[in-house]
Amino acid sequence: MKLNRRTFFKVAGTAGAAALAPARTASAATSAEVLDAGRRGVLVDTTKCIGCRACEAACSETNRLSGPAMPDDAAVFGSLRKTDTTSFTVVNRVTPATPERFVKQQCMHCLEPACASACLARALDKTPMGPVVYHKDRCLGCRYCMVACPFDVPKYEYDKALPYVTKCTFCADRQAKGESPACTSVCPTGALTFGNRNELLDIARERLYAKGSPYVRHIYGENEVGGTSWMYITDIPIEKLGLPTDVGSYAYSSLTQASLAAVPFVLTLWPPLLMGIYSFSKRRDAVAAHGSDTQEEADHV
Amino acid sequence: MSSPTTAPTVPDATARNWASDKLFLGMSFWEYAKSLATPGNFLAGLIMAIGLPLLAYRFIFGLGAATNLSQTNPWGIWIGFDLLSGVALAAGGYTLATSVYIFGLEKYHAVVRPAVLTGFLGYLFAVLGLAADLGRPWNLPVPIVYSFGGPSVMFEIAWCVVLYLTVLFMEFLPPIFEWLGWPKARLWAVRMTIGLTVFGVMLSTLHQSSLGALFLMAPTKLHPLWYSPFIPAYFFISSIAAGLSMVIVESALSHRAFQHRADHHTDVDGIALGLARGASIVLFAYFFVKLQGIADGGRWALLSTPYGYWFLVEMLGFILLPSMLFAYGARHSHVRLVRWTAAWTVLGIVVNRLNVSVIAMNWNVPDRYIPSFMEVWISITLVTLGVSTFRWIVNRMPVLKAHPEYPESSSH
Amino acid sequence: MIPHDILTLYSAKMLEYGIAVLFLALFIPFWRYVQGPVKAPALAAARSRRPAARAAEWFLAPADRLFHRGHAWLMGGDEGIVTVGMDDFAAKLVGPLSRVSLPAVGASVGQGEQAWRLTAADGRSVDMLSPVDGTVVELNAALAETPELAERDPYGDGWLMRVRPSRLRANRINLMAGRAVHRWMEEAAAGLRGHVAPGLGALAQDGGMPVAGMARAIDPEGWDRLAATLLLTGEEGSDA
Repeated sequence: MKLNRRTFFKVAGTAGAAALAPARTASAATSAEVLDAGRRGVLVDTTKCIGCRACEAACSETNRLSGPAMPDDAAVFGSLRKTDTTSFTVVNRVTPATPERFVKQQCMHCLEPACASACLARALDKTPMGPVVYHKDRCLGCRYCMVACPFDVPKYEYDKALPYVTKCTFCADRQAKGESPACTSVCPTGALTFGNRNELLDIARERLYAKGSPYVRHIYGENEVGGTSWMYITDIPIEKLGLPTDVGSYAYSSLTQASLAAVPFVLTLWPPLLMGIYSFSKRRDAVAAHGSDTQEEADHV
Repeated sequence: MSSPTTAPTVPDATARNWASDKLFLGMSFWEYAKSLATPGNFLAGLIMAIGLPLLAYRFIFGLGAATNLSQTNPWGIWIGFDLLSGVALAAGGYTLATSVYIFGLEKYHAVVRPAVLTGFLGYLFAVLGLAADLGRPWNLPVPIVYSFGGPSVMFEIAWCVVLYLTVLFMEFLPPIFEWLGWPKARLWAVRMTIGLTVFGVMLSTLHQSSLGALFLMAPTKLHPLWYSPFIPAYFFISSIAAGLSMVIVESALSHRAFQHRADHHTDVDGIALGLARGASIVLFAYFFVKLQGIADGGRWALLSTPYGYWFLVEMLGFILLPSMLFAYGARHSHVRLVRWTAAWTVLGIVVNRLNVSVIAMNWNVPDRYIPSFMEVWISITLVTLGVSTFRWIVNRMPVLKAHPEYPESSSH
Repeated sequence: MIPHDILTLYSAKMLEYGIAVLFLALFIPFWRYVQGPVKAPALAAARSRRPAARAAEWFLAPADRLFHRGHAWLMGGDEGIVTVGMDDFAAKLVGPLSRVSLPAVGASVGQGEQAWRLTAADGRSVDMLSPVDGTVVELNAALAETPELAERDPYGDGWLMRVRPSRLRANRINLMAGRAVHRWMEEAAAGLRGHVAPGLGALAQDGGMPVAGMARAIDPEGWDRLAATLLLTGEEGSDA
């Protein structure tokens, strides 16, 4: 049973309606058309990335982090890095030479995020514009989002006594002001293109299917986990990007759908079932203990 | 807080007051304090003397300082053992309550109260283990009061556990009121039993299976032999076997450790054999259900890998074997065999929960998780606290034996 | 998740159905194995043709026999020969036996008169009353070897003797059957509670079978006197 975007937002919407005001603004129920029109994304064209890491620097500055590590040292590409609590995005060199390819990693801001559907307190919440935002005041620190995310994006501040979950925010506050995310705004080569997701898909397809194009004909993130906001096109085999290729094209929230759908069934069916067994066993005991004397009694239980 | 395992000495007649009667086992405060010097209490005290400061350390310096949790492995033994295994083993509460109050199997009446108590304390200390694991435990009320992550299985678990703890506590009110000597309150509490039992079974069905459903969100991280869309069913069915086995173990230990508080006419042996019969059937069905899961996923080839061998150890050694041993023991009335099999089954449940959460999780990733000394010790401390609380309650309240004023507590 | 291609799906499905059928086939014998052979304390004895009735949650009293106040039973058999034994209450009261001393074949027994003696492991013994007048025609030979049978399966393999009754119709006046047996057993159980020292609290344990040797549990030193009182063979005089 697949959950499509519409029902996801309906569920999110009605659940949001049940919550108090602070939760409401994030995702009141909206129609699919408005969603599509407003939904933002980023197209990452790895053929254009030169590994300058200006995106990392801009991200750190905007989010007031201490990174990036080794800002001007190319030796940083000697090993594959992951994002962590002080670097919301990293650029890795995934192929050494001819061609040298770099891949920027950050939160994918999935259309139906596993982390948001996993979060019991709605601390991680999908906004209609695209960013999956983190309401740190609600977070319990259960770290289920970390288990759920197939990209291993959320990172936890284990070293702090008052820890939070950290990840790329897609610069939601900048977007709210009409600006583009910090990383996309500083990219010198146009490797990062920020815009409406549908339009980005069109751009990507144009590049992929142009005559003599070197691109692999797959837009990573178009359908992975039901679609992500950040999408990748490349001319090297997709597996080499360092992104997980076994995630399937279903939204992760669908994995627990059946289990949760059973809840109202259990709540409805268990009481009559159990009370039926109870009546039956009570009657049987009454008959056995007192024979025909208490038929009347037994009939009333 | 803990109590002696030998019968108290003749109480000092001059120290008679409510506290002496209810709290200090009829002794004055100083007599009681002196009576606490037993080897069992010394061991418990030692464990807690180390564990409680460690717990403080964890909260002052953070999870990273006290645990081996990492960005790759966010969940460790506090989830795998304290929470998952603790909740599974506390299932004796709902299985026994259903057997006695719904199915009318009066034979097991003598162990319903200890089972409900074990259930209540099991859940309570599982939640305490969770509180130790949460990064911001003070936010526990958030998903209950104002921010509801409806699509989340974790949300459903949180609600279920909160409600079920309340149900278990209310199911335990009759012995508390008997202890306090409040007959009217006790009557009111007793009348709720059937309703509470039905509600409790419903909640247990939901959260026992949902704890398994949590792992549905990790198809690429959990080893395919353990990952199945049927994990919720696996967890629920095994919780029944876990509960029955735990009651067998707990009743054997209690009737030996609390001889002066136990009803000597309880047929502990007969009860153990009866529960063993049930457990053997459940384990038998559980084995086949897991087998079906393998067939459904087409996973046969994986059985000949190292993780496959470990899976077979779990299936054959911890599920099929105890099922057969329980069957043999129940049929031939070998109570000793049944008790050891029950202990083995308890271990098997812990193994399964640890497999799903920690061992077979992230199986293909180089950064594997091994618990730190502090994590292990804090887990042991929580278990010790739970056992000590159990002893404190059993030594004062009518759990192993009916209260003299309410001999027909069997009738509620 | 391992994807199925359409062809392996067929064999996978057959395998699943096969496992389910295998389980069902194995389940029935497994269930029967686990439930075990019919055991007297939990179910009616094999000989009883009608289902046993539980009395007062504690003691078994099958519906197809007659009971005497001395806690013995008799069951009508072939050719006017009746089978005599002791009831569940007496069995539980006395507990494990080391010897059962029965009258010889050909001896006369009288209803309400001392007929046999039960000796327990500690050497103490208690007598029991015969429920019927008549002549002993057969003794249960198994009891010589395994006297515990009388206590473990008092209604089945632990039968004591066969008697040719001389005045059965007259004897029946003093025998109980049906609902009267239940009430009498409940009173016997209540009477047992009355013998308990106050400090021990209620004997009424919550529903389980009482362990063997109740008399000994109540009064280790004088249990034989207690048992004799309850079985009506005490110094207060036997029932006439």
